[in-house]
Amino acid sequence: MSNLQLTSRGELKHFLTLAGLDRLMLERILDTADSFVVVGNQEVKKVPLLRGRTVVNLFFENSTRTRSTFELAAKRLSADVLTLDIKTSATSKGESLLDTLRNLRSMHSDMFIVRHTDSGAAHFIAEQVAPDVAIINAGDGRHAHPTQAMLDMLTIRRHKGNFEPLSVAIVGDILHSRVARDQIHALKTLGCSDIRLVGPNTLMPNSIGSMGVTTHTDMDEGIKDVDVVIMLRLQTERMASAFLPSAGEYFRLYGLTTQRLKVAKADAIVMHPGPINRGIEIESAVADGPQSMILNQVSYGIAIRMAVMSMAMSGQMQQRQALVANPTNTEAQV
Amino acid sequence: MNMVIRGARLIDPSLNLDTVTDLHIEDGSIQAIGDLSGLTHDHNIDAQGMLLCPSFVDLHTCLRDFNQIQKGTITSETQAAASAGFSQLCPSPDTQPCSDAGSVISMITSKAQAAGFCQLLPVAALTKDLNGSQLSNMEALSRAGVIGFSNAGHDIGDNTVLLRCYEYAATFGLKVMVQAQDHALGQGHMHAGPTATRMGLDGIPVIAETLSISRHLEFMQHTGVSGHFNQITSANGVELIRRAKAQGQAITADVSIAHLCFTDTAVEGYSRQYHLQPPLRAESDRQALIQGLADGTIDAICSAHQPHESAAKCAPFAATATGMATYDMFIPLVAQLLSTKQLTTQQLVAALSTQPAHIAQTQVPSIAVGQVANFTLIDLQHQWQLDADSQVSQGTNQALNLQQLTGRTRLTWNNGQISYNR
Repeated sequence: MSNLQLTSRGELKHFLTLAGLDRLMLERILDTADSFVVVGNQEVKKVPLLRGRTVVNLFFENSTRTRSTFELAAKRLSADVLTLDIKTSATSKGESLLDTLRNLRSMHSDMFIVRHTDSGAAHFIAEQVAPDVAIINAGDGRHAHPTQAMLDMLTIRRHKGNFEPLSVAIVGDILHSRVARDQIHALKTLGCSDIRLVGPNTLMPNSIGSMGVTTHTDMDEGIKDVDVVIMLRLQTERMASAFLPSAGEYFRLYGLTTQRLKVAKADAIVMHPGPINRGIEIESAVADGPQSMILNQVSYGIAIRMAVMSMAMSGQMQQRQALVANPTNTEAQV
Repeated sequence: MNMVIRGARLIDPSLNLDTVTDLHIEDGSIQAIGDLSGLTHDHNIDAQGMLLCPSFVDLHTCLRDFNQIQKGTITSETQAAASAGFSQLCPSPDTQPCSDAGSVISMITSKAQAAGFCQLLPVAALTKDLNGSQLSNMEALSRAGVIGFSNAGHDIGDNTVLLRCYEYAATFGLKVMVQAQDHALGQGHMHAGPTATRMGLDGIPVIAETLSISRHLEFMQHTGVSGHFNQITSANGVELIRRAKAQGQAITADVSIAHLCFTDTAVEGYSRQYHLQPPLRAESDRQALIQGLADGTIDAICSAHQPHESAAKCAPFAATATGMATYDMFIPLVAQLLSTKQLTTQQLVAALSTQPAHIAQTQVPSIAVGQVANFTLIDLQHQWQLDADSQVSQGTNQALNLQQLTGRTRLTWNNGQISYNR
């Protein structure tokens, strides 16, 4: 799986999951993103790294925040950006995913940003449809959301420094969370050894302990003395599908309140991938309070996406050049 | 065709036969068995190191054709079955059109007969159109030659309907075959385990199988129907069957070759060819299935062959069709099982021939002088590559495509005729 997103020299050419990426690679992404945080603070926010490149935003599932930060990131890298509203496009007319993508590929696109409801959709596209187009996974089913996890890592690193001594709690709907899985991969790879998942058994995935985390059904126990609390969004349809009895009971047991946050370290930071449900998973006083990193996360999100897009594009270009220089070298295609 | 097969290891569980010797076939019948070095013949097969055993009986296979010719035809898939050593097949009733009427059954069997590769022992739908609400014409279907009734992978949610299915089958002493998986709990895409969790795929817990086995065992017990379970997948499932048999219940069970040889970790990297229903489970389950075969809890090995066209598997994992084409890799997988020595050759041959034949109430093809030739000759050492040129099935969902395999059928005789000859 990891081979699929790396060139034969170990450079990123797609960005599909954090599973299989080593510490050096994750740190390079964070370092590159750090440099782009500065770009965001400049008067002129553009750099020419993707000038002349065509980036297509393919969102098969709704998302305002992720889509707009990807679009902004691409524009700040000077790319030409096309955002496709899939609901009104060909797939709803019965064209298969495969055919839609083949058509877009024929338009000489250089990069697809893909969000899809099926786990593994980005892998499928990278493997089957467009090996020479850089594929950035913007969330696939419950599987992965690597840019979100990396922006969370950037937030933690910029506010807490070293990952090794940290205790991190991830709270809420782990089962349906594509972010949680990539956060676990990233935290482990970056050296964090105390990763705790907190939630009721109905929202805890089968055998999640095999990923090297501890699980807690009691919120106070789970966030005791942690440095970072990551709250996950609770979709309201979870009540209708019998995962939980009510939003009220969930908030009472797993909602993050000012009172409860006192169990964590005094300087603990609070994160949330957004959009937040005030009064369901998090109290407004916490979301807007001094320990909250929620808005910082959004701006770091643009920097992370710029970093990943520029790195994957450069990996693709190297691969294409290697192919042009030596067309018979099949090694270069890997 | 007449021939002398020299030096093969003959195994026939029904005769307690296990010997290395020669075999002479004349006019489709076994003429002589024993040292035939004195017999000169135009057509000799040097079969040293090869295995000669009764041809196989498949208790669960999916035949295509009619509305599914893009996936395969009865001719192409029965030929593929013959190339895997089979001569009798029990096609699942989820054909299109559905096998719920005598006319469909006779259409299928006559096509197979015309093709000449295998004899069919069809399984008919337990409910009309597999809809889970109306009984099929079981008595008429049994007279049309079906060997049992199954609702395949389709649910009969209403226990009243299911009770009536069993009661009606019991009236005529008919066999009910069950693909045991709870419908609601079976909505996922792979075994609920660490791999599913890491890949974000909806899991199917083992309890989906055990709940369903327990439910059907109750109905079988209550009505006295002789029941058969297709494709057991889990250690807990094996244990339920073991206990029911120990208590004297008249039931039998099979396991598919894929569940014996692969586990859920094969799905890693979204390998769509391993998207199966029921799903591949954990290594501990696979070991329990092998143990179940060894101790007689599981009676037979089926192919669960399900050919598909390439488009059916060309989508993100969850959106792909389930099932794999298994005939082309069947013998290599059997050879692989043999090489682990967890099962003896006699046990494997019995689970592929005499035992499923007994369950399908068909004649046990035996290897004895005077018998019509019904056997398969397998070269367990043959090295080959599975690819578009070497595959026989029309299905493109070949999990081991382009891999080097060991073990291949050399020859299959079906009812006195050669049905496969490589």
